[in-house]
Amino acid sequence: MEINILSFGKIAEIMTITSLKTDEPMDTDGLKLQLEESYPALKTIKYKLALNKQIVQQNRKLLSGDVVAIMPPFSGG
Amino acid sequence: MSERYNRQVILNGFGLSGQQKLAKAKVLVIGVGGLGCPALQYLAGAGIGTLGFIDGDRVSISNLHRQLLFKTSEVGRLKVELAAISLSALNPEIIFKPYPYFINQANILDILRDYDLVIDGTDNFNARYLINDACVLLKKPLVFAAVSGFEGQLAVFNVPDVNGISTNYRDVFPIPPEKGEILNCAENGVIGVLPGIFGTMQAAEAIKVLSGIGRPLVNKLLNYNLLAQSVYEIELSPGPAGSYVRAKDENSFLSLRFENLTADNAGVVEIDFEELQIIKAKGNCLLVDVREVYESPKLSSGEYRQFPMSEIEKLMKENLLEKNIVCICQHGIRSLGAGEQLCEKYGITKNIYSLKGGIARWKQFFTSRL
Repeated sequence: MEINILSFGKIAEIMTITSLKTDEPMDTDGLKLQLEESYPALKTIKYKLALNKQIVQQNRKLLSGDVVAIMPPFSGG
Repeated sequence: MSERYNRQVILNGFGLSGQQKLAKAKVLVIGVGGLGCPALQYLAGAGIGTLGFIDGDRVSISNLHRQLLFKTSEVGRLKVELAAISLSALNPEIIFKPYPYFINQANILDILRDYDLVIDGTDNFNARYLINDACVLLKKPLVFAAVSGFEGQLAVFNVPDVNGISTNYRDVFPIPPEKGEILNCAENGVIGVLPGIFGTMQAAEAIKVLSGIGRPLVNKLLNYNLLAQSVYEIELSPGPAGSYVRAKDENSFLSLRFENLTADNAGVVEIDFEELQIIKAKGNCLLVDVREVYESPKLSSGEYRQFPMSEIEKLMKENLLEKNIVCICQHGIRSLGAGEQLCEKYGITKNIYSLKGGIARWKQFFTSRL
């Protein structure tokens, strides 16, 4: 299956991928682990996921074609 | 009703009743910077009855590409003073309340209590979490916006939806980032028009919430990318129980700890004379004497440049090439101020130092060794 990935702010600089292919079943916790393994800099910042435009507050199962947004906080003004 | 508001009073769905709601409303804008300036201009124009604004900062030259309430000739002056003059000239029919200091844990609740809605226009996480938590405690609608680079986020917090559910900043980011984890505008840069767009959108959301028109961004977080001119809106829901501590009452709010509320940029590092020698020895270093030309002792020799504090704009206009900049003055106070301005200009691209105690403390070294 293929998960689409949208990165924002500093995270878009850390990881440039826009999708992730996997044969294993995947959930949002698993996706986080996999991304943090591939992009260790992700581990050093706080971020939040949204699955299909809904904020992820607990682990959610992923299906092929899902869109996961990865957002860091911004402080500037 | 004043002719001034005619173009919005004749709007279908807004009308006289919408205008009357704005006239009764009290809005507090925290931070008179990139977000606060445009928000204040549109809220003043729209006829918000009472408009408070709080900021202890003064105008610096690097503010002017995005903070269009201020003029080049006003560099160094208090932002709230200038805003009060400009906004009351724009609309003398409403009440303005300038607060010439920064919010902190001790003063925020008393200030917020008087207002119906709060706009967060600050530039650092300490202030943002403090404002959020205070608004949660007092159940004040909070229009949040934050920008970085070419992107921004916008949301309306603490306003219940039709099901009575409301969310706040901690439902999105429960724990504040560590210092330096996420860069602010001074470090990461921001294109001037971006906070202009977001401050204006904050004013728009405030007007919607107060007048009851349209669909404010309740339980939604809007992400905007200026380069792509794209918007990505996500739906928010409350975080799981225990993901953050919510102050139950004023006492527990006051006992929660917040750090000081000045901008969380990389900051000036204060050094002693020995550290100065080490930094100089490493090279790629410039000494900046910010004393006035008539002050003594004169530095005897060496690669320093003089930029008197009275003409600090000259230093700010100069494009310094060295990576390490050490500011010095007589007692280490003006040099700290100059260093802070340099930090704002260069962010983490340079190391900015200030000699603690200044030339007065290290006099014997200066006359012989520099």
